[in-house]
Amino acid sequence: MIEILETGPFNTVQDLGRPGYRDIGVSASGAMDPFAVRIGNILVGNDEVAAGIEVQTFPFSLRFDRRTVFAVTGADGDPMLDALKLLPWCAYTAEAGQVLELKHPPTLARAYVSVGGGLDVPSVMGSRSTSLRGSFGGNAGRPLVKGDRLALGNSADFAPVPANGLAVIEPAVALRDVFPDFVDGTLPVRALPGGEHALFPDDGDAFWSQTWKISSRSDRTGYRLSGEPIKPTTSIEMRSHGIVPGVIQVPPGGEPIVQMSDANTAGGYPKIAGVIECDLWRLGQARIGSRIRFVRSTHAEARAIEQAVARYVEDVRTTSEMIKRALKAMA
Amino acid sequence: MSAIDFSDPTTIALLTDALTAAGVSGLEISWPGGQLRIVVATGEEARINVSSTAQPVSAAQPVVVKAPMAGHFCSGNSSRSVADRLPRSVSAADTLGFLRVGPILLPLCAGRAGILTRQLAEPDTLVGFGDPLFEIEPQS
Repeated sequence: MIEILETGPFNTVQDLGRPGYRDIGVSASGAMDPFAVRIGNILVGNDEVAAGIEVQTFPFSLRFDRRTVFAVTGADGDPMLDALKLLPWCAYTAEAGQVLELKHPPTLARAYVSVGGGLDVPSVMGSRSTSLRGSFGGNAGRPLVKGDRLALGNSADFAPVPANGLAVIEPAVALRDVFPDFVDGTLPVRALPGGEHALFPDDGDAFWSQTWKISSRSDRTGYRLSGEPIKPTTSIEMRSHGIVPGVIQVPPGGEPIVQMSDANTAGGYPKIAGVIECDLWRLGQARIGSRIRFVRSTHAEARAIEQAVARYVEDVRTTSEMIKRALKAMA
Repeated sequence: MSAIDFSDPTTIALLTDALTAAGVSGLEISWPGGQLRIVVATGEEARINVSSTAQPVSAAQPVVVKAPMAGHFCSGNSSRSVADRLPRSVSAADTLGFLRVGPILLPLCAGRAGILTRQLAEPDTLVGFGDPLFEIEPQS
């Protein structure tokens, strides 16, 4: 068991989501930074789809009531175990009674706590993610509150985490050639032209060339962007159609909406573009008030990024297992 | 985790038992700090000889943080690019650096409080199991 000692609003149990039910109106949900969840799970010896906690409001703290392997990934900043400063992106073993505390991250938005064995909440439609819009999944379909107690699954890990921890070169550093850094404080986000891109003048230039700000009306469902409104050359009436995370819609006001993890399953606004899936985690780590710029990508580039991510994840998995085995043999 | 301490009586007893069980008559191990020689005698007690080429252990004896396995040595905290000056005081839980193996980083902890006096390996070089990486003068 772990017990939540302190939490802000909207911190939830999440895994990699619940795809496959959009046709009956069920949002996929899942972590806003699924990359962090996958790596966190590998570090603690879980299957990458195990459920953890998404922390997006701070400070947050929990107590372990038994010896537990855990890792904090995603956001920057140092987690604390009792009074001891830990490394992010590093698996450790906590003793019964120890308290893990996460303070507000310096620059990023969301931290993920992975625990050995995963959080043992019921799986609903193949996922342990909380659907806040549907009030199901995760911890009784609601955000975590102080005093919540969450059961842990049984860890199937074969070898212990080394005494001093097991860390990883975080994705943003290890894959810096694949994920370009901020340019003048603006996050580049790659996207492909969407279904109604042709409705916008000058090949969508007003959309692609300006810097957008993530407005305060942004959450896990979608990011509303602030900037110079963009208008289609002709206004059209469209029937609602299926949409997915990453879709960028332009409502009549002209300020785009990017659908995120709790994306609506249908919508009727013109779609100017779609964020490539591999860049969604970076958007998930972008804070309200931060600036982004869309960079026109290609299917080939998106595929190449996916392959680089897959290679990195596989490398982390095989190398971490090899190291744990080697250290166990020498112990 | 540190390298195997061959002067530790528990380790010697374990090795002696293993040799006896395997029917091996003896072994000799040399390392930078000394030498261990175990001769398993039949019908009588085993003869064990540990000699140290280093200074006798005293309170002021520097403690060496060794590589727990082979890997690339990274000094400081890679995520913060700290260029820490030496000597400086460290606490037992401080991470002094990492061993990098592919995308994985193994934190290297001080293990005891004291003054970090020397870094014994060059950054980003390949080090082997048991290679000395840092020297700490323990403080009580």
